[in-house]
Amino acid sequence: MKEQNSIPTSKTERSARFVKTGFKVGGNYIKHYSKKLFNPALSKEELNLDNATDIYASLSELKGSALKVAQMLSMDKNILPKAYVDQFSLSQYNAPPLSGPLIVRTFSKYFGKTPSEIFDQFNIRSKNAASIGQVHEASLYGKKLAVKIQYPGVGDSISSDLKMVKPFAFRLLGMSQKELEIYMNEVEERLLEETDYDLELKRSIEFSEACRDLKNVVFPTYYPELSSKRIISMDWIEGQHLKEFMKSNPSQELRNQIGQALWDFYNFQQHELRAVHADPHPGNFLITAEGKLGIIDFGCIKEMPDDFYYPFFSLTATDLLENKEETIKAFRELEMIQDKDNPEQVEFYYQAYKEMISLFAQPYMSDSFDFSQTEYFEKLYGYGEKISKMPEFKQARGVKHFIYVNRTNFGLYNILHDLGAKVKTDTYKPHVDRFMLK
Amino acid sequence: MTTAEELKNAYIDYVLTQGDKPKSVYVFAKENNLTEEEFYNFFGSFEGIEESIWTDLTGKVLFEVQTQEIWEQYSAREKALAFFYGLIELLKSRRSFVLYSLNNSPKSFGTPPVLKGAKKVFEHFAVNIIQQGIESGELADRRFFSDKYKDALWVQFGFILNFWAKDNSAGFEKTDEAIEKGITVTFDLFEKSPLDSLIDYGKFMMNNGGMKQNMKF
Repeated sequence: MKEQNSIPTSKTERSARFVKTGFKVGGNYIKHYSKKLFNPALSKEELNLDNATDIYASLSELKGSALKVAQMLSMDKNILPKAYVDQFSLSQYNAPPLSGPLIVRTFSKYFGKTPSEIFDQFNIRSKNAASIGQVHEASLYGKKLAVKIQYPGVGDSISSDLKMVKPFAFRLLGMSQKELEIYMNEVEERLLEETDYDLELKRSIEFSEACRDLKNVVFPTYYPELSSKRIISMDWIEGQHLKEFMKSNPSQELRNQIGQALWDFYNFQQHELRAVHADPHPGNFLITAEGKLGIIDFGCIKEMPDDFYYPFFSLTATDLLENKEETIKAFRELEMIQDKDNPEQVEFYYQAYKEMISLFAQPYMSDSFDFSQTEYFEKLYGYGEKISKMPEFKQARGVKHFIYVNRTNFGLYNILHDLGAKVKTDTYKPHVDRFMLK
Repeated sequence: MTTAEELKNAYIDYVLTQGDKPKSVYVFAKENNLTEEEFYNFFGSFEGIEESIWTDLTGKVLFEVQTQEIWEQYSAREKALAFFYGLIELLKSRRSFVLYSLNNSPKSFGTPPVLKGAKKVFEHFAVNIIQQGIESGELADRRFFSDKYKDALWVQFGFILNFWAKDNSAGFEKTDEAIEKGITVTFDLFEKSPLDSLIDYGKFMMNNGGMKQNMKF
């Protein structure tokens, strides 16, 4: 793999990366057809492999620090699904902006009216790109609204792209299809959910209602009567993105306040709702002038079934790790240790995962945690590096739920690190009593 | 008193329920309480009726999109897009007839006879928006080629119509995509591109001769 000098971080950089891949893939087609001109026997195989290689190169180049850490959870080989998760969800579907007439068309299709008939004002030029569509500014009864419109055919292209890359991904990674299939399906499922605006609206309303009493967290009001399969209307939240916010030199107090709001938001969902906003991308948050955290996207929700929740959080929230037998039992339930493993392997994975889980659980171990400290993150990354080189981790391990739960929690840790926040970590604790009773 | 409008509707109803043209003008006229002679006052043949239906549809789309409040703010590209979205929307209510008419017109290159009138209406519209685009600088004015722009748009008309006829996706969403992408490509080609600069440069070099001499150092 080529040396990577920097990891693109901002959304624009990320999309620029994908544009580049697009060119490359386009180039591969040209290459293919010009070669074919001289050698008609040339198979499509080569073309597809060229494409997959470029897509994969671009995916892994984009992995970002969060992804690096995710390697920790045993799933070095799951770089690929992880890359899928991060990239297919965001940049790639920053398709060309929808034309004005298509926006009008989308509205008349779902409401029988044009945007200017529905809203007092509607800006036909979009303000921001959302992950799979774009956001427009509108106003109604003196209220400023954000109207998100989805690009047609996104769902289809997700499925077809995954299908295209899949076989080559297996080959590139030297993994069997069966091993990776489970993770791939999990990713595809989440991605397709993201394209379902009816579902997103429903969840947005449910989650913002359930999280209403959290301190310093604000949600836009959603308008079901102005929403449809391809359109979601909500209040426009004024605020800064994390990057801008940090540039304005906020006080430590304010940073802690935002960090606390984030921590509470995530842990309340994980432990009280058992379903979590699984896309802790900085673009999904806004920091308001009043120092509150605005949450504007509920496209990706990961539900946590009991058979994952109890073993996993028992490990992090109790002194279970002290008890080797019980720990191995939990690892078995999470498929981090498998039935086919021999005693040495059991011992090896036990040690490796124990180290990992205790690292991960560190913030939970005391009542507060300072995420600004770099040593902790260096340890995390260091551990990730280490296991990514171990041949024992060449195979995928762990239940599929890890993909999104890791993404969520490491994403959260990373944002808190960027914020340099110190947060109280005992506000919403895991409920693991049921497991303990077993 | 029967009107042309009523005859058209009666004809649509007939072909859709019977799956075929009426046996003769005589039979069809009689069913509509007309003499054959009176029928010819309205249309020359059944094909004439179909052509007129298509022309009406196209005209109606134009009227509808052009009366939208936002129309004047649109660029040429957006006007073309709006037309096609409007067309697909309107055709939806006449889908069965459209499919019948397309399937029963002779398969050959070029414009099917029933679309001749529609083509005239569409081309008039296309020439207008292209002219507007050239004047505003949105589109490139190319000698010999600018006159062909309207033909490229007519090709899109046929393509989109056929695509829609075969589209099975819910809400004809695939057709939306086909329109968005197809018109984008077409108008990208109409816009000033590096190719224009290249041709311009090439012309300059030709006229100022000695390409070979200049290449040497």
